[in-house]
Amino acid sequence: MDREPVLEVAMRAAVAGGSLLQEYTTDPLQISRKESYRDIVTEVDRLAEERIIHHIGKFNEKYPILTEESGQGISRDTLHYWIVDALDGTVNYVNHIPLYAVSIAFIEDGTPTVGVVYNPIAQDLYYGAEGIGVFKNKSRIAITDHAVEDCLFAMSFSGKTYNPSTREREFRTFGLLNDISRGCLRTGSAAMNLAYLADGRFCGCLGKANKIWDIAAGILLARLAGAQTTFRYVDLDGNLVNYLAAVPSAWDILARYFDALS
Amino acid sequence: MPKRLLIYGAGAIGRGFLPWVFPPSDYEYNYVEKNERLCHLLNDRRQFTSFRVVRNDYEECVVPIRQCYAPGGEQEAIARADAIIMAVGPRNASSLIEHLRGSITPIICCENDASIPEMIRAATGNPNVVFAIPDVITSNTAPEGLLARDPLSIVTEDGVCYIDERVSHVGGLGSYVPRMELEKQWLAKLYLHNTPHCIAAYLGSMLSLTYVHEALKNPRVSEIVAGAMGEMKHVLRCRFSLEPAFVDWYADKELQRFRNTLLYDPIDRVAREPFRKLAPNERLIGAAQLCICCGIVPEKIMLGIMTAFCYDNPRDPDANIRYLMRALQPPEFLIVAMQLRSGEALYELLLDRWDANLNLLQEISDG
Repeated sequence: MDREPVLEVAMRAAVAGGSLLQEYTTDPLQISRKESYRDIVTEVDRLAEERIIHHIGKFNEKYPILTEESGQGISRDTLHYWIVDALDGTVNYVNHIPLYAVSIAFIEDGTPTVGVVYNPIAQDLYYGAEGIGVFKNKSRIAITDHAVEDCLFAMSFSGKTYNPSTREREFRTFGLLNDISRGCLRTGSAAMNLAYLADGRFCGCLGKANKIWDIAAGILLARLAGAQTTFRYVDLDGNLVNYLAAVPSAWDILARYFDALS
Repeated sequence: MPKRLLIYGAGAIGRGFLPWVFPPSDYEYNYVEKNERLCHLLNDRRQFTSFRVVRNDYEECVVPIRQCYAPGGEQEAIARADAIIMAVGPRNASSLIEHLRGSITPIICCENDASIPEMIRAATGNPNVVFAIPDVITSNTAPEGLLARDPLSIVTEDGVCYIDERVSHVGGLGSYVPRMELEKQWLAKLYLHNTPHCIAAYLGSMLSLTYVHEALKNPRVSEIVAGAMGEMKHVLRCRFSLEPAFVDWYADKELQRFRNTLLYDPIDRVAREPFRKLAPNERLIGAAQLCICCGIVPEKIMLGIMTAFCYDNPRDPDANIRYLMRALQPPEFLIVAMQLRSGEALYELLLDRWDANLNLLQEISDG
């Protein structure tokens, strides 16, 4: 498959979606709650998603689109499809914290091969594809490896209702990682965490029972930038994943925490 | 006993031009070259030929080589060198820091970026790092006839190398000048050479040509390049108060240079890394901003900028400019890829002329 046009449509759609998010920054319209206090959705999520789907559809209607809001599903035997999160970091968005992103991935045979993460506030466009490379705006990017004590990590948590009995373990892991390194952050956007890993700001990211649309693009960008990565589905619908991405020096230690979490 | 040179980069400047500045009869040539094939060839043949264009003819210089090292293998050569010369390209300069740390041997930076000597000084702790300006066009190859005589042939113009006088003890035929003169020469090089030269290359690339002189044969390209030169002449007089006679002389010299049919100056070499040339203080965006500061609308330079935006070379290190250009709307491209701010003068001017300039380029391209 020629991935250049796929990458370009993902870039176009991500920036178009991001521009819409910016238009509504001061007025995110109606907010609804989903599974928990922090799992919310706004009208803007839906409008941005529509705009993104429009751009992707204009390019090619052949491949289905798995999205967070409109609920377009993907059957198990689908090999090639899009995954779209029009707004990863909705809580940040509605609280005017400038850390959120549009995330778009293209999947081939179950693996992300094209990924774009766009933060419209910073105007940081991260994009990459297998066989092409990974970039932020005009520059090629790569991870920066550090000893663990000099690393900054990021973690994202499962929804409250996923498996309440294991949440204590997640918080303990967060604390342990925080104490052995320069710190462990919970930024509110897994897509941005992985993009920051790809451009050398973070050294590792992990999360449990996160939505696939939050991390599909970012995990590819991190891998193309030189990080070691893994993710595994933890539900039957194929929407929730545990994921880990890290620079080589931090991989072993994070992998131990990751296994304990899983 | 000849002085020992260690030259990083056996490319256009390192191999083509330096032998005319530091004659091989007085200097021993050692290279560090990351291109394995070239490194192997240089060690295998132990010499190459540089051809200098003088009065429409070639003058020949056979350069014996003591050794060409792969990067990392040159520590012994650093220790015995009388001078080190850097000619690896601005983007590669920082990769030399680890190798050069601890040495106090004079380092002459022939990189096309005046900030590099300071960066190397600070990072290596070597106080003897100076800037030099090779005022020359040098090809990184040669026409077939010369390559048949020596496959490592390379062609250069009869240029001048302006070098900071603090290392005048290195000797040779370089023009050792005080810092003020070096700064004047740098301004002229940056804006009267680099700006129109790369515009000629981007236009030539758009026309699928190979050499810069071929591009200048097209009257419309020639007009745009001369127009861009005129805009920059105005800037150098208005903003930097350079003497008009010097500016006129330099500009005329450059236009003749670009047309020199013996130089075989490859368009791919001059046009490479468009993002570097489009950086905020560089020869395209930086030049256009200076024009605006001086109260003129840089119409021809903006055409050159548009041609750089459209540079379509999948082998270039900045080939991702193609994805950004195809994927983004013009305002998004200017903000995301060029880091211009919405509302600033150049942003507005580029947007205002966007379609007209694209159409004009298409017209030129269609002949």
